[in-house]
Amino acid sequence: MGTDDVPLDDKAKRMRDLLSSFYSPDPSSTPNAPSKYGILDAINTSSFDPDQYMNLLVQKSNLEALLQRHVEMAAEIKNLDTDLQMLVYENYNKFISATDAIKRMKSNIIGMEGNMQQLLDKIMSVQSRSDGVNTSLFEKREHIEKLHRTRNLLRKVQFIYDLPARLGRCIKSEAYADAVKFYTGAMPIFKVYGDSSFQDCKRASEEAVAIIVKNLQVDSLQAKLLEKLEQSLGDLRLKTDEIENVSLESNDTSKLGKVSDSIPTTAHEASVREFAEAIRAYRVIFPDSERQLITLAEDLVIKHFEMTKQYIKRRISSANLLGVLRTIWADVLLMDEVLCEAVLPDFSLEAAKDAVKLYVARTFTYLLQDISDALLKVNVKPKEAAEEHPLQVALEASKKAVLQGSMDVLLDFRQLLDDDLGLLVKLRDFIIDWVQEGFQDFFRALDDHFLLLSGRKNLSSQDHGLTEGVHVEKVLAGLVLVLAQLSVFIEQTAIPRITEEIAASFSGGGARGYENGPAFVPGEICRIFRSAGEKLLHHYINMRTQKVSTLLRKRFTTPNWVKHKEPREVHMFVDLFLQESKAIGCEVNQILPQGHLRKHRRSDSNGSTTSSRSNPLRDDKMSRSNTQRARSQLLETHLAKLFKQKVEIFTKVEHTQESVITTTVKLCLKSLQEFVRLQTFNRSGFQQIQLDIQFLRTPLKESVEDEAAIDFLLDEVIVAASERCLDPIPLEPPILDRLIQAKLVKSKEPNPITP
Amino acid sequence: MQGGSSGIGYGLKYQARCISDVKADTDHTSFITGTLSLREENEVHLIRLSSGGTELICEGLFSHPNEIWDLSSCPFDQRIFSTVFSTGESYGAAIWQIPELYGQLNSPQLERIASLDAHVGKINCVLWWPSGRHDKLISIDDENLFLWSLDCSKKAAQVQSKESSGMLHYLSGGAWDPHDVNAVAATCESSVQFWDLRTMKKTSAIERAHIRNANYDMKKKHILVTAEDESGIHIWDLRKPKIPVKELPGHTHWTWAVTCNPEYDGLILSAGTDSTVNLWLAPISAGDEPNSEA
Repeated sequence: MGTDDVPLDDKAKRMRDLLSSFYSPDPSSTPNAPSKYGILDAINTSSFDPDQYMNLLVQKSNLEALLQRHVEMAAEIKNLDTDLQMLVYENYNKFISATDAIKRMKSNIIGMEGNMQQLLDKIMSVQSRSDGVNTSLFEKREHIEKLHRTRNLLRKVQFIYDLPARLGRCIKSEAYADAVKFYTGAMPIFKVYGDSSFQDCKRASEEAVAIIVKNLQVDSLQAKLLEKLEQSLGDLRLKTDEIENVSLESNDTSKLGKVSDSIPTTAHEASVREFAEAIRAYRVIFPDSERQLITLAEDLVIKHFEMTKQYIKRRISSANLLGVLRTIWADVLLMDEVLCEAVLPDFSLEAAKDAVKLYVARTFTYLLQDISDALLKVNVKPKEAAEEHPLQVALEASKKAVLQGSMDVLLDFRQLLDDDLGLLVKLRDFIIDWVQEGFQDFFRALDDHFLLLSGRKNLSSQDHGLTEGVHVEKVLAGLVLVLAQLSVFIEQTAIPRITEEIAASFSGGGARGYENGPAFVPGEICRIFRSAGEKLLHHYINMRTQKVSTLLRKRFTTPNWVKHKEPREVHMFVDLFLQESKAIGCEVNQILPQGHLRKHRRSDSNGSTTSSRSNPLRDDKMSRSNTQRARSQLLETHLAKLFKQKVEIFTKVEHTQESVITTTVKLCLKSLQEFVRLQTFNRSGFQQIQLDIQFLRTPLKESVEDEAAIDFLLDEVIVAASERCLDPIPLEPPILDRLIQAKLVKSKEPNPITP
Repeated sequence: MQGGSSGIGYGLKYQARCISDVKADTDHTSFITGTLSLREENEVHLIRLSSGGTELICEGLFSHPNEIWDLSSCPFDQRIFSTVFSTGESYGAAIWQIPELYGQLNSPQLERIASLDAHVGKINCVLWWPSGRHDKLISIDDENLFLWSLDCSKKAAQVQSKESSGMLHYLSGGAWDPHDVNAVAATCESSVQFWDLRTMKKTSAIERAHIRNANYDMKKKHILVTAEDESGIHIWDLRKPKIPVKELPGHTHWTWAVTCNPEYDGLILSAGTDSTVNLWLAPISAGDEPNSEA
């Protein structure tokens, strides 16, 4: 059993190996596995060691397990034996069937030899028959081929005979390409037999071809010439560009007193002359080609003016424009000589109209730009802080920009008018109208621009979005004031001057018809700017008072006035208020003129009455101290209010330093009064107000022209405060005085440092 | 205002800050006003324009315990009105009923229906829904918006809901949309806020500084008129809150109050601290008829 077991086991192992190598997914991992996972599982691997296995099994397992293992193993071995047997049987089966197949093949081959012999015989007989047929048909085929050749030859001869007529037809229908193709096809035949049999034919076709050649030559000449003209046109266009550059120089030289006709211009002229000559020649050669030439010439003019427009887009003076126009006109006249059907002068007149109109419009745009630039310098200047009067500088600069700019523009246009160039002479009326219209539109645009700069426009205009809102805050109050004063300047000085100038040199016109009146209406412009000036001034005052108003609002809404402590000093809002009014004064003094008549007018209106009213009132306030007295004094105030002359608080604002300052201060004091009226004070709160107001009195009256109104408003504030006070007992005058003195001393001390 | 001649005058003993038309009195043209005097006895006057239109008659004179800062008449009961008053140190608001003593002018006492005493800060105004009977009231103080439910028969008012306007937004007044019972506009320092009363939440806002007063157009939806300190009167379409529809110059000093005519389109009345009342015809042009204030 033991000896039998070994080979059987060996066989089984090989089988197992074969099977496992066939079935296992990863055979390389199997050899490693047993060492790791214990030797018991290694029975199926190639590195199986039976002795080790046996030892291990005996060591590890008890008897029962060993017995069970034995049974299992015996069963496994049986199974494997049967598997092996099955495989051996299958192999035998295959071998037997292969032997059968070979035997069958052998028996099939034996009958083949006879069949092959038969096939060979049959093929031989077929070949002999086909040879027979071939020889019998040979003669007939030869004959047919001969006939075919003859027919081809005859066809060629026919073609040659027909050639002259065919060429004639082609000439008639101008199918020269076909004709040439036919002729070249027939050419070799003519070469060989031309002298003998086809003489007539050759001659006739040669004649026809000569006609063709002639025709072709004429056409190509025309096309070539046209092409050349176009080319020279391209050259001319390039040259205008040069001339523009040159004309700049030539004008510089002309300023120095030299002749403006420089050499490059004449070079250009020469080329144009050449072009004109070419056109003339062309017309002589081809009398019915005007259409093309006219298009060509118009093209030239259009291109010229396109260049001019490009040129105008840059900033040029009218002298430069004149140079360009002069060149173009010269060209046009030259062309007109040779090609009067094109009506080039009229055509170019239309084009020039557009160009000059564009020029006028551009000039005004630049002027607007200049003025706006001059104004916007205000925004930059304060940062530098080098200028002492930035607003004044800006005002002067912008005034100059307006007046000088307008004058320059007019002078520029004068040049256009004074020139005797045929083109411009015809446009004269138009130019005058355009200039007038231009000024009208320019001033309208300027007004719009002012409003935009001042930030007022954004409030009403619908199309500006939120972005403008940001812009509003950036607008400087000073700029608004400059704009206001500039509007006045335009209304009072610039417009009359411009009107004069226009009347002197731009009168007439009339291209737009007399019933419409002149395009430039100074009255309307004046009205626009007068209202703009007022609007802007109001806007300035508004901006300023709004600032103070915010200050006052903070002052009056923050503290609890009912629980106010006794006044110790003048409140600091007074300083801020005075500082603000000083700032206004500073700006106003730079920009606005002094009003001389105002002082006088005030004194005769209500000066005397108010001084007699307000002074005793104040004196009363200071002298009396007890509650009862204070109450009766308030009653007095009411009575005085009834009987006193009404002080005009809200007067019309004028463009003078005093008027603007007064109005601003008045509005601020009125706001102060209203803020006071909204609060309720205890005694100390009231006294604080009294103190603050008392302190304000002197500095305000120094800066403001209408003392009476200021007095009145300050009194009103105190009255309002006492009305809104639970216990209105004013401060004793000595205390009031002492506090004010303290404040004055205090404000003098830091004075040299702060400003 | 009639024909530009001098108006009909009516004298009060002391200064007054508020006047309200009595909407519920459909037979007469009546007004109610209250005085603002810190130290004296304050009064409420019921004034009626005589049938000839030539005289103002005092229909009733009632003493009011404190100075009156705001007063508005109930739109559905002519005997009921609300006041906002101040003792100098603290504020209060109350609903009053005029006792039935017509004809006798012996200064009878007003009957206090309810007091709206949930406020802490300065009360600015009490609003009735302008278009008719509605049992809700709105009161606005510096920081809060209160919705009250009022029961006149039980003489009680209860806070229904309350919402704070948020930090740094001091409310100054408001207007109740006559077309939408749930929409209220409240003015504050830097904007007009729109509130939905159902949720008590802000729905939108017009960003605009220093608005004093706002009023809805009674006829047209979505139209709000605002008065501003410095820059006059603006008319807004609430669907386009970025830019005003129209701008009127307002007054030479602050414009204090604006109101729209309930009958005629585009008639706007404004009052300013320059002691004038201006009547504007807004849709066509800015026609201006200034008239002195009493």
